Amino acid sequence: MARLFQNGKFWDSDRLEMVTGDILVNDEGMIEVVGVGLPVPDEVATTDCTGCLLIPGMFDMHVHGREPGDEHKETLASCAAAAIHGGVTGLVLMPDTSPPIDSGNLVKSLQDLISEVSPIPMLTSGCLTKGRKGERLAGFSGMASRGVVMLTDSGSSVPCPDLLRRCMEYAKDFDLLVTTSCDTAALTKAGAVNEGKISYQLGLPGIPAMSQEIAIDRNIRVAQHTGAKLHLQQVSTANAVKSVACAKEAGTPVTCEVSPYHLLLTEEDIVDYNTHFKMSPPLRLEADREALVAALIDGTIDVIASNHAPHTEFEKAADFGSAPFGVAGLETTVLAIYDGLIRPGVFGWDLLIERYSDRPREIVGLSSLKITEGEKAEFFVFDPEGETTLSRNYFKTKSPVTPFLDKTLSGAIRETVI
Amino acid sequence: MSELKPRKDLLDIESLSLDEIEYVLENAVPFKQLFQRSVKKVPTLRGKTVLNLFYEPSTRTSSSFEVAANRMSADVTNFTISASSVVKGESLLDTIETLQAMRSDYIVIRHQAAGVPGIVAKHTRASVLNAGDGYHAHPTQALLDAMTFREVYPDFQGRKVVIVGDVLHSRVARSTSTLFHKLGIEVGVLGPGSLIPEGRHEFMQRFASWDEVFDWKPDAVYLLRVQMERQEGQFFPSVAEYHKMYGMHSTRVQRMRELGCYLMHPGPVNRGVEITDEAMGYEKSLISTQVENGIAVRMAVLHWLKPETQLD
Repeated sequence: MARLFQNGKFWDSDRLEMVTGDILVNDEGMIEVVGVGLPVPDEVATTDCTGCLLIPGMFDMHVHGREPGDEHKETLASCAAAAIHGGVTGLVLMPDTSPPIDSGNLVKSLQDLISEVSPIPMLTSGCLTKGRKGERLAGFSGMASRGVVMLTDSGSSVPCPDLLRRCMEYAKDFDLLVTTSCDTAALTKAGAVNEGKISYQLGLPGIPAMSQEIAIDRNIRVAQHTGAKLHLQQVSTANAVKSVACAKEAGTPVTCEVSPYHLLLTEEDIVDYNTHFKMSPPLRLEADREALVAALIDGTIDVIASNHAPHTEFEKAADFGSAPFGVAGLETTVLAIYDGLIRPGVFGWDLLIERYSDRPREIVGLSSLKITEGEKAEFFVFDPEGETTLSRNYFKTKSPVTPFLDKTLSGAIRETVI
Repeated sequence: MSELKPRKDLLDIESLSLDEIEYVLENAVPFKQLFQRSVKKVPTLRGKTVLNLFYEPSTRTSSSFEVAANRMSADVTNFTISASSVVKGESLLDTIETLQAMRSDYIVIRHQAAGVPGIVAKHTRASVLNAGDGYHAHPTQALLDAMTFREVYPDFQGRKVVIVGDVLHSRVARSTSTLFHKLGIEVGVLGPGSLIPEGRHEFMQRFASWDEVFDWKPDAVYLLRVQMERQEGQFFPSVAEYHKMYGMHSTRVQRMRELGCYLMHPGPVNRGVEITDEAMGYEKSLISTQVENGIAVRMAVLHWLKPETQLD
């Protein structure tokens, strides 16, 4: 059935400003008319959007879908539901499933599953190395022919620089983006939190900032040497930002992402061994957080990516050192960024749209979404004066483990149109 | 002291108020006096049960708690769980459920993972006594150290203690330094850079050598145990070099003697590593007193904590 969204505010990508008006979406989900005070045709359902924003659907390029293999944590269906619930209308699945997605056949079977269960586009990625073991190259050509948008051992760095070099050289022939986690295993060891004051006080093994910084420097060097396109996941320290800025200045084809958690929280927020704050890379210092926000604004950081990495509440109920790294992110990123950064005026919706919708789509080769006549209707209705209490029953993910659990955030996603 | 709010668990030193610390330390004194009598028992915890749950082998701490509980007339069950029989972390909630069903009044727990006593405390009605968790905390050790220090220095405020050795991997260093700091005792540290973390509390000033330490005129030297098996070659080149740089031997004992400085150690001692046989005989060693005070302090803690099971 066709729908008319009345009197909402939305981003006019031609005029580069917020405008107020009506949007008529036909029963094929296309935007038919955009205007002010549109007449209500027959057989059209109306939605009063007064006071609400209509925001283009977000795109999350770092999602651990968990299926196949870990369906107790998340399924592609629950992942899609969580994404839509959080205003995310497209995403890239990481290949660290069980088995890992490291061949064309596995990409194909995953894509078949996606088309069965997901109402939104879920793009696939493939492993850099066979079985994500960091030992031998995975089958790039088969995966490339199935349309993976990047190659990554996400969650695990390629420890050997020589192998990473060969991966990049080989990937370049297919014009494939190489995406890396940024972590030096020999420095991270059994670390659970950022190394420093908090690791000392909690008596937990620490992960030094240089564990990420050395990996980022190394990966940038290898990218510069090979000329491959590199995307760095989950940049988390001020020095890491400097390295990326320096590489970009030198014209290196490098992009990077930051998580909402690293933009909003620090190691000081880890209270009472709450494992909902255990993630990789770990939460860092306030100075790092500030540098990340500044880099997001100035463009050194290209995208926000949630690193949606669900684990069950039972798994997370272990002691902090033993609990797995990672938290759910798809349903809380827009809300948390609005509550913590947009509403206080640190930056505007335009930046969130740029960093969490347009730019990640561009990096994986998609065009950006526009709320314009003739385009597909793909947006969410956001009530800036609303409130969202993130209790367990709010979530669509199978694993509502997040630092924001049971918190009330300002703003509310009323509906996502896909 | 009647205004003290009842406390269920003892998990760390940070959360203790000065009043609570004083309460425990003052109560430990009459318990210690009891040890001079032929009957060393009080009936305080008759009919109550104490579960000694040790995930890490520890004869000393485990027996100290056992003796303390016995002298309070509680029934004690010892439970030592080897790490190999535990599925890492994941079975913790199941274990807690089992413990809950045992309806113990007090659970003394030592675990190799930081934070575990807190998780157990949250899920049981019993009082939980942290007997050491990972590198995090060992609060009864800190309390017995404070009791021992205050016995020899009733005017303890403004006095100085230097902690020597592996601060990085030491829950004792964390808890004892925090408690000493709360009591107004100055804390210094000495050890190789690889074992003195940058993230330590700011009040823990670092010395570069024993000479600097002695110039500072400490009132006590607190030696930490060196975990040789884990650290040789990783954090310092050799035991011999560690001993030469940071160990306690006769020359350094002589400097201590001149200063009137006491010697402390949480035990068990690695003879020949952090301390020589000869230095063990130092007349101002408080090591045996620490062991004795450990029992008194643990009795005082058992006396102080109020399990929820007693509210029925």
